[in-house]
Amino acid sequence: MAKILVIDDDPDFVLAVRMALEAHGFEVEEAATAEEGIEKVLSVQPDLVILDVMMPTGYEGFEAARAIREEHGLKDLPLVILTSLHGKRQVPYRFAPDETYLPVDVFLDKPIEPGALVDTINELLGERREEPKYPL
Amino acid sequence: MKQGDIVVIGGSAAGLTAAITARRHYPDRKVLVVRKEEQVPIPCGIPYIFGTVGSPQKNLIGDAVLEKNGIELLLAEATDIDREQKVVYTTDGEVGYERLVLATGSRPVMLPIPGCDLEGVYSIVKDVEYLSELQQQVEAAKNVVVIGGGFIGVEFADEINKIGGKQVTIVEIAPHCLSLAYDEEFCAEMEKVVASRGIHIRTSARVERIAGDGKVERVVLSDGTEVEADVVILGVGVAANVDLAKKAGLRIGLTGSIAVDRTMQTSDEAIFACGDCAEKISFFGGQPSSLKLASIATFEARIAGANLFGIRRENVGTVGVWSTSVGEVALATAGLTEAMARERGYDVVATTIQGPNRHPGAMPGATNTRAKLVFERHSGVILGGQVMGDATAGEIINAISACVQNRMTAEDIATFQVGTHPALTASPIAYHMVNAAEMAIQQMHEQGA
Repeated sequence: MAKILVIDDDPDFVLAVRMALEAHGFEVEEAATAEEGIEKVLSVQPDLVILDVMMPTGYEGFEAARAIREEHGLKDLPLVILTSLHGKRQVPYRFAPDETYLPVDVFLDKPIEPGALVDTINELLGERREEPKYPL
Repeated sequence: MKQGDIVVIGGSAAGLTAAITARRHYPDRKVLVVRKEEQVPIPCGIPYIFGTVGSPQKNLIGDAVLEKNGIELLLAEATDIDREQKVVYTTDGEVGYERLVLATGSRPVMLPIPGCDLEGVYSIVKDVEYLSELQQQVEAAKNVVVIGGGFIGVEFADEINKIGGKQVTIVEIAPHCLSLAYDEEFCAEMEKVVASRGIHIRTSARVERIAGDGKVERVVLSDGTEVEADVVILGVGVAANVDLAKKAGLRIGLTGSIAVDRTMQTSDEAIFACGDCAEKISFFGGQPSSLKLASIATFEARIAGANLFGIRRENVGTVGVWSTSVGEVALATAGLTEAMARERGYDVVATTIQGPNRHPGAMPGATNTRAKLVFERHSGVILGGQVMGDATAGEIINAISACVQNRMTAEDIATFQVGTHPALTASPIAYHMVNAAEMAIQQMHEQGA
């Protein structure tokens, strides 16, 4: 059973994600701050991490992602940013994965359909199974 | 409720081309474009608003082509799609469709660097009002820093430099500018051309933060050095606009773009997607590709537009063909560079030919032109090419792209029948592509392939 760590300071959102992921057979761990999250990355050793950005210190999630990759050397741990940053700030640009500045695998915006989140996780964990559209 | 047999959302390069293609392939169908922008900038022309063209108003895609092709235009923003009822909700009412094309484009990427939200920090937004403001700020600035030394960054820097009286600096994290598209020897030469025009280049430079008191004052690099800046422009790429597709429940790929198959069909059979919003795969190996160019958008649009009521075309994957120019020097690329090919595991033979692009070399307009071709050693199939010279490089590379897309071998290219003329081309004896292929064949034989 894959273990997913959700780092987000919004308990309601974490609960919703927990319910959605547990319904699909994932084990869910939680952290409410980036600091706690990084500790759990090391102690719990999740298979994938979901990170919010707008935690108390602003761009905390971005910094946490860089710390996980650079300071702790976890280059292959799948990281997903899931944030309402774009919706709240109404800026004409987007943040997106970048090898140096934002070393995450996927950048997702809240709100997200539970099914789409599960699809992303499955794809990143290499467990996606799809029926062929047409028999060959 | 309005009704279009074919409804296209988006009116830039992809949307417009998809609509025109649909009109050509399905002349009896009603085609309607839903576009939120009153004026649409020509994407590749944006750098030129600062110097050569002079204004965002002189860099617009006109609407006459819609009228000429009998395509209806609805100026409104699409806010939702009811896939069951086949209705698009817009800020100006509902629009029914039989087939829908999403060409919702992309937005620029902003790097999460501290200070990226300071006044004076801009990304390259395809919006006339935003670009007009940027132009005003740039004209008033003394120091402009462009973060990102890709072709957009280099073109922005050169065009801003043309205004005069400014210190323009390019900050690039890789060891060379343009290194995602060209081999090192071409990048180094182009950097010399850029520097000779008075532009400062800082390569292998990571931006630590953008600093200032409310407004940008300087860019701080990771080696501790600082570059003064009144305006900072980020030219570091774009991300797909998928909000509408996501809301409609269409499948989104891992690259964050709308998932499509080779026919450009999305996870809904009645909906197609093309351009910057659609997921791409590389022509080489089929892995997801992050390349987003107007020329790719239009080729995908010609596939999507043709396939709406029956599959007629398929996408072979993104070859990656583009050019840039600084002053009189042009640099063009198609397919894989030598470095990229080696990195992907190909056994490579690469050859370079240099010589004038007229014959004899004393002909007016003759320019020294360098062409490099990259082949897979065992099959002899061409993987890519690069050309540096004058403006003719832009079309020479298109001929090379045709060779790549058709998986031609060095033997095919060595016996390629070229038309030549003293005032127009290189000599038939020393034609760059043909001779580079001959040299490659020799190397393949020498090394016992």
